[in-house]
Amino acid sequence: MRTRKAALARERTSSRLVGIAAALFGFGFVASAAAHHSFAVHFVADKIVTVKGTVEEFTFRNPHGLLMLTAKDEKGVEQHWRIETNSPNILRRRGWSEDSIKPGDQVTVEGYPARDGSPSMRVYRVTFPDGRELVGQRPDPTVVPGQD
Amino acid sequence: MARLALPIAFVALALAACDAVGAAPSLDGFWTVKFERKPSGQALIDSLPKGAVLINDTGAGELAAGDFAGLKLKPAAIEQVKKYDYSQELKRENTCVPPSVVFYMQAPFPMEIYQGRDLIVLKMEYFDMVRVVFLDGRPHPPESAPHSKSGFSTGHWDGDTLVVETSHIEPGTFMNNGFSHSKHIKLSERFRLSPDGNTLWLTQVYEDPETFEGVAARYMAWTRKPGEFVFPYECDPSYGN
Repeated sequence: MRTRKAALARERTSSRLVGIAAALFGFGFVASAAAHHSFAVHFVADKIVTVKGTVEEFTFRNPHGLLMLTAKDEKGVEQHWRIETNSPNILRRRGWSEDSIKPGDQVTVEGYPARDGSPSMRVYRVTFPDGRELVGQRPDPTVVPGQD
Repeated sequence: MARLALPIAFVALALAACDAVGAAPSLDGFWTVKFERKPSGQALIDSLPKGAVLINDTGAGELAAGDFAGLKLKPAAIEQVKKYDYSQELKRENTCVPPSVVFYMQAPFPMEIYQGRDLIVLKMEYFDMVRVVFLDGRPHPPESAPHSKSGFSTGHWDGDTLVVETSHIEPGTFMNNGFSHSKHIKLSERFRLSPDGNTLWLTQVYEDPETFEGVAARYMAWTRKPGEFVFPYECDPSYGN
């Protein structure tokens, strides 16, 4: 009997705690909502870096395409770059596709460097050895090449 | 995509049942973001409430960390921003979290508008979001009703301007730099066509006394492009770390 009473008391305490927690969460307190990352927060918009290397992998899915590139730094040390594109939806309308870049391609990539100093950037332009170019995020969105 | 099929089918049926739009301007069609050096819809901006803080991050614009366009945040919101961990945005689990209508309308992605007499549907490319604006005079649901990223919208025509009021918006990022709006935010919008019908202007006005003082606003513009269509977005979380 005593055991049953103790169990009931534990249950009541437990439901009270659940009630308090529910009240706290439902109070309307605004926690920062997770969000898809911002360009301005993570990349430097007014600086361009250039990297020349070999494509390891290219994926072309929203929210961002990803170009993994192996390149050597100024000391000859191999670096692995994580280069994101703006949304593939935007780039499809500029002529990009899943097949635009292939593993093994030698490319020169210009882009906006990551603020944290890691080998990462948002792509502005990819140039192939034959001079072909793919344009990603333009420095000035109001200027469209060929229409300015 | 499959989860959107049913609501879209329902909306398509509802639109088919609607009568002709009548004298209201037609917003129907595909609209792509218009990048402007100078706002072509200045008249709509001029009609914003006095003292409204205009947030200059629309289209390709973005605000850096700590820049809230001059908006005065409430102490709790300031604390919230201080604690915000930007690295979490790059995590796989956060990659495909959609923003609310407070932020997604300004993104540099196109939309399609389907206009009926009693409702208007906006099919956004960004995160595949869909908005339904009821024009049939129905009331907003009670405060306790579920909230969503697109909220609950009703609208009416004020002359040549579509006025939309949205409530029940789930908290989401306000400026994509660590500051989130609350679930009590109220959104008022005014959509207007240019005289030639080829540009669509929008102003959004926000009030959220829980997170900031006064009134904030955004201005947006789109160009009509017949024959084009919205692409599927189908966000892939594997982009994240």
